[in-house]
Amino acid sequence: MGALQDLMRPATFIMNPYIDRWKEKGGKVIGYFCTYVPVEVIHAAGIMPYRIRATGSTTSEMGDLYTSHLTCTFCRHTMDQAMKGEYKFLDGIVALFSCDHIRRMFDAWRYGKIEVPHSPYYLRCLSVPFKVDDLAVQWMKGEIERFKQSLESHFGVTITEEALRQSIRTYNEKRRLLMNLYDLRKKEEPPISGTEALAILIASTAMFPEEFNQLLRQALDELGQREGISGYRARLLLAGGELDNPDYIKLIEDLGGLVVSDFLCYGTRDFWDLVDEDSEPVAALAERYIERISCPRMVNYPARDEFVKNLVRDFNADGIIVQRLMYCDNWGCEGARTQWEAKKNGVPCMVLEREYVMSAVGQMRTRVQAFLETVGR
Amino acid sequence: MEQQQKYPVHRGLYEVAKTLEEPFYKMLSTWLGGVFEAADQGKPILFNQFTIFSELTTALGIQPLSPELWQVMCLQLNPMACCESIDAAQDAGIHPELCSANKAIIGDLMLEKIPPPSMVVLPTFPCDNSKITYQTVAAITGAPTYFLDCPYWMDEGEAMDYWVQQYKGLISFMEEHSGKKLDWDRMKEVAEESNRAMDYWIESQELLKRRPLPVNGPAVAGYMAGLTSLGTPEATAAVKSVRDDMLAKMEAGETAVPDEKARVVWFYYPVFWDGGLSAWMAEQGVVIPVGLVGYFNSGPIDTTSPESIIRGLARRGLETPMGRQGRGVSDLWIEDCLNAVEQWKADAVILAGHPGCKWLRGCYGLFRDIARERGIPVTIYDVDLFDPRLTSAEQSRAIIGEYLESVVLNK
Repeated sequence: MGALQDLMRPATFIMNPYIDRWKEKGGKVIGYFCTYVPVEVIHAAGIMPYRIRATGSTTSEMGDLYTSHLTCTFCRHTMDQAMKGEYKFLDGIVALFSCDHIRRMFDAWRYGKIEVPHSPYYLRCLSVPFKVDDLAVQWMKGEIERFKQSLESHFGVTITEEALRQSIRTYNEKRRLLMNLYDLRKKEEPPISGTEALAILIASTAMFPEEFNQLLRQALDELGQREGISGYRARLLLAGGELDNPDYIKLIEDLGGLVVSDFLCYGTRDFWDLVDEDSEPVAALAERYIERISCPRMVNYPARDEFVKNLVRDFNADGIIVQRLMYCDNWGCEGARTQWEAKKNGVPCMVLEREYVMSAVGQMRTRVQAFLETVGR
Repeated sequence: MEQQQKYPVHRGLYEVAKTLEEPFYKMLSTWLGGVFEAADQGKPILFNQFTIFSELTTALGIQPLSPELWQVMCLQLNPMACCESIDAAQDAGIHPELCSANKAIIGDLMLEKIPPPSMVVLPTFPCDNSKITYQTVAAITGAPTYFLDCPYWMDEGEAMDYWVQQYKGLISFMEEHSGKKLDWDRMKEVAEESNRAMDYWIESQELLKRRPLPVNGPAVAGYMAGLTSLGTPEATAAVKSVRDDMLAKMEAGETAVPDEKARVVWFYYPVFWDGGLSAWMAEQGVVIPVGLVGYFNSGPIDTTSPESIIRGLARRGLETPMGRQGRGVSDLWIEDCLNAVEQWKADAVILAGHPGCKWLRGCYGLFRDIARERGIPVTIYDVDLFDPRLTSAEQSRAIIGEYLESVVLNK
């Protein structure tokens, strides 16, 4: 089996063989929800960072006990999976005020509503600023120091400066490789679909970056031999919040759209910006995590508008689809604003509401078909 | 449209309010008059989100306008008053699940039903709705916007220092965009005046701990002063008059209802379009001594130096209704609600499920478990505070009536 195929698999399950092997060796895994968690710090502690998702969930009735019908279905399903014990392989969880839904879901862990495999269990909610300025970077530096110390104290490890530098180099390598992957998507006939690209991005959050980098290097070689995709009806930029199910992109691509780039947190927002490898590592991490291209939790929307505009240009996109989980307020307003901006720039844009678990497929197909009619080549 | 013809509902309210002698209405009419004067004459207007108090605008002589309060005022005349703006925002692509207050702000700006801001100020709490809405407001109006960035965990060390820095930045922002310079002697006067008003507010809240209750409903005057004109003698007089009224009633032996049967904590904002709901509950002997508004206990601002004043403003900024409870973990709201039950000697809790308020709905499940352990009756019911189309007044009465009859009054 090729590396590309290997990279497709982690997206289809919560667990994967890379985690199994690590756990068999007695390794620790820490779960997180959001791209604002500086995963380099976890990695430098010798712990595998794992981005939590509820892949495979079909119901949320247990999760609904501590959420509400106004909570997004990502959180309701994740909570449900947690209450069913699906994340017992995790040795801790790191969250932050990513959004109202996630912070309240995390509180259910804090209040002991979710059974954990051992006690004391590592639970930490980072205080990540919402602004992008020097003060925020300074605050973030302190917060990363506190985070580092808490990991050291809880897990009985020492995170040396050299280990942190090495983690930064490893994650930067991952980001550069993903940039290479995205460069291929700029081609008129890209050798990779959006569906496959999302699966690779998901894999990048579900194994150690060293293993991922090795696989992605091989996959890039394989893609170099592949014939490009042609005959599509439109090149699309996919924006929005949590999307960890490649089937949603497949739905779009089966109808003739080709997703050539994205503004997703399993996507450009996760890897676009590098950490300065020459600076003091904690300060460099703080700068990168505050000044990176933001998501709507941050209050610097003009930077996001500019970034999306540039993505459309650089990837030669014909239109934008903003996918939004129902009840997500951040992407509710951001989606509307993205549409307004796109209109100003003469780019067709559609907001597609969806639930975490694939549903209302017929309706979505109809909407995507209609959109492709308007933007199709 | 001619400037003077805009905002007819609020201008009508202003015309009525300025004929009334009560200090509370004097405060409101002065504020509304200031808004119209600024709008008509092109003077700066600062949008202060509903958790931003007005000491700094008072000291700098900038006209504050809380968009949420603007909505609340027109709802007093017409329960459907926000619907047109809510629909306009949704028609423009804003998602329906956004807090209706926020949709109404966006719609108001689109329909020119609110004077546009020259600048906008808000903290990064209490919710996603607010942060993303005010970014949308900035995009629509082009108004410079200042966010006070609040750490998720507050302590007296680095977190408070960071928060204080946000206030220093706010002063610079307001000076830059108003062309005015903060006079610290004036700021000191305003802070001292503001302290007096807050003392009266806190005293009013304390008086509502008496059983039977002297006046029904949480003490709101301090909050209204906070949003409109804190630090002015008019605001202090308004809050004091409410306190005096309570004292007078207590002295005369008057009570909110003739036969107080139960006290309910409504730990949220009231249903703004349904002013008759608490009166209807009172007819059944059920009173509401406290809510999110009316649960405020910030200490005075220390006016010994500019630094202490800024720190005092920052500290008070963490204590505003909903700001205090929404800025961090669920514990903040849960503990306050439990404390409200204990301190105000309540028999039960009603939790309004405003559909926009996801941060709060996420606390309800945890609270319900604790309340159950402690034997505190709780009900949660869906109602939109700004839009009667979700749950009508009749439906509210049916739901609450059943709860009161079967659970609270039978306790």
